[in-house]
Amino acid sequence: MTPRLAFWLRRAGMYVLLTAIALVFVGPFLILLSAAFKPAGQAVFSFPPDIIPRPPVLTWVKEAWTTIPYPTYLLNSVVYVGVMVPVYIIVSALCAYPLAQMNFRGKNLIFFAILSTMFLPGEVMLLPRFLVVSQLGLADTYAGVILPGLLSAFGIFLLRQTFTGVPREVIDAARTDGCHELRIFWHVMLPAARPTLAILGIFGFISVWNSFIWPMVVLKDSAMYPIALGISYLAGVTGTDVRSLAAGTVISILPVVIFFMIMQRHVLEGMRGAVKG
Amino acid sequence: MAIHVQESHAPSAAPARRGRRKRDVRAPQPGRLPGQRWYTPYLFPLPALILFGIFFAWPAITAIQLSFFDWDAISEPVFVGAGNFVRLMGDDRFWTGLGNSLLFLVGMFPLLVIVPLLLAVLVNQRLPGIKTFRMLYYLPVVTSMVAVGVAWEYVFNQQGVLNWILTGFGVLDQPIQYLLDPVWALPALVLVEGWKSMGVFMMIYLAGLQTIPTNLYEAAKVDGASAWHRLRHITVPLIVPYIAVTLTMEMLEAMQVFTSVYVMTQGGPQDSTLTLGYYIWSAAFQKYDMGYASAMGLVLWVLLVLMALANYRITKGRTVTP
Repeated sequence: MTPRLAFWLRRAGMYVLLTAIALVFVGPFLILLSAAFKPAGQAVFSFPPDIIPRPPVLTWVKEAWTTIPYPTYLLNSVVYVGVMVPVYIIVSALCAYPLAQMNFRGKNLIFFAILSTMFLPGEVMLLPRFLVVSQLGLADTYAGVILPGLLSAFGIFLLRQTFTGVPREVIDAARTDGCHELRIFWHVMLPAARPTLAILGIFGFISVWNSFIWPMVVLKDSAMYPIALGISYLAGVTGTDVRSLAAGTVISILPVVIFFMIMQRHVLEGMRGAVKG
Repeated sequence: MAIHVQESHAPSAAPARRGRRKRDVRAPQPGRLPGQRWYTPYLFPLPALILFGIFFAWPAITAIQLSFFDWDAISEPVFVGAGNFVRLMGDDRFWTGLGNSLLFLVGMFPLLVIVPLLLAVLVNQRLPGIKTFRMLYYLPVVTSMVAVGVAWEYVFNQQGVLNWILTGFGVLDQPIQYLLDPVWALPALVLVEGWKSMGVFMMIYLAGLQTIPTNLYEAAKVDGASAWHRLRHITVPLIVPYIAVTLTMEMLEAMQVFTSVYVMTQGGPQDSTLTLGYYIWSAAFQKYDMGYASAMGLVLWVLLVLMALANYRITKGRTVTP
C-alpha cells in the first residue's frame, strides 16, 4: 500500500466516523421531520424505519398551525427575543464597564454579588421569585416574563473580561478630549467588544427562544406563551396525533436553527476570545 | 501637559466631597478621573443592581424565611420552626428524588465529561468541512428541551428507531417501551439530557485543545508515540483545568434536571424519574406546599454549593497550567 493510498483511506475512514456521529446528533430531528411531512396513509413508525415521506404533504403543518394559536406564539417569542436580548446586553455592558475600567469603593462587592447569582440554581429560585413577581403585580404579564431574565452574570463576566483588554491609553485619550463617560462607553467600549456582543446576542437569542420553565410558572394566560411553551401545550391538546405534533415542533425549532447556522462562525471565535480574555 | 493640569485638580476635588476619610487625601486612584463625579461608577451598574436586588436577593431571602413556615399560598403562613426540615428527613419521595438526581449525576458523567473530550479531539483535526460537523454536533444545544423531548419520544417509541436497532443487533429480544418502564425510563432521560448538552461540553474542550501548542504533538509523533499515548500523556494532562470546569457544570446541570422529566415522564412510572428538581416544582406549583418546597430548595442549594466546593478542592491541586 502506498503512503498516498493509506492517507486517503485514513481520511475516508475519518469522514465515515464523523458522519456516523453526526447521524446520532441529527437523527432524532430527521425522524421528526419525516413524521411531519408523511401523508396519512404512511406509517410513522415501522420496522425498518421508513424515513422518506411519499409524497411529502403540508397537511400536518397546517393542522398544527390552526390547532393552537401558532402565529401568536411565534410572535410572542419574537417579541421576547427582540426586547430581552438587546436590553440584557446593554444592562450587562453598563455594569461591566466600571467593573473593568474604574476604581471605586464596593467594586469587588458588586462583582461578587453578580457572580453569586451563578450559584443560585434556577430551580431553587423558581418559587420565591414567582412570589416576588406576584407581589409586584407582575404575574401573568409580559413584564413578569421579561424582567427577571435581564440580569446575566455570564454576560457581565464576559464583557468585563473583554473591557479589561481595552488599553487604558485609549480611554484616557478620549477622557482628556472631554468625552463624557457615557460617550466613551458607547463609542469606545462597545465597538471594541463587538465579538463578545455577537456571542452574547447569539446565546441570548437561543436561550430566550427556548425559554420554557419561567414563562410556564409566570403565565396563566396562554395568549402570552412563547413558542416552546406552546409546543408543550400542543403536545397536551392533540396528544394522539403524532404527525401534527412533529410538524408543530419542527416549525418551532426552524427559526433558531437557521439563525444558528448563519451565526455559527461567530460562536467559536467569540469563545476563543472569551477564554483568552 | 493638559493631562497633567487636569489630574492635579482631581485630588482637591475628591476630599471635598467625601472628606472625612483619610484615604481620599492620597493621590487619585488610577480609575478616578478629571470631571468624573464620585457616583459615576455607581450609575453604570445601577440597572443590574436593581435587577439583582428584586429578582435575586429578595427571592433568596424570601426562600430562607419561607422554609420555616407552613403555607398553602392562601391562608396565613404558620411558623413551624425546623418542621419542614424534619418532615423532609422522613419523606420517602424526597429521598427517592435525591437518589434519582444522584443517578442523573452519575449517568451524565461519562456523557458530559468524557465523551465530549473525545469528540473535541475528533473535531479539532484540520479537515475540510470539519466546521460543518462541529455545527451538527452542536445542533441539539440550540433547540429547546421541549422540542428535544418530543423528538426523542419518537425515537423511544415501541416501533421506533432505537428498538429497531437494538432488536436488529440482537441486543433485545423484543421492543421495550422505554418511557413506560420503571427500569428504563431514567436511563432514557439520562441519555436525552446528555445528548442535548454534549455540544456545549465539546466546545469547552475544543477551546482548551486549541491552546495546546501543536509542536508538542509533532515532537511526540517523531518519538513514535501512538494516538492513544498522545491523548493520554499530552492532551489529558493539559486539559485538566477544563475538566474541572466541565465537571462542575455537569453536576449543576444533573442535579437540576426538570424539563425533560416534565415533558417526557412527569416523574413516572412509579416515581422512577422523580428528580429533586421535579419534586420541588411539583410541591410548589401543584400542591401549593410553599414552605416545604422552599425547604427542599434550600437543601438542594446547599448540596450544590458543597459539591462545587468539593470539586474545587479536589481539582485544585491537580491543575496544570499549560
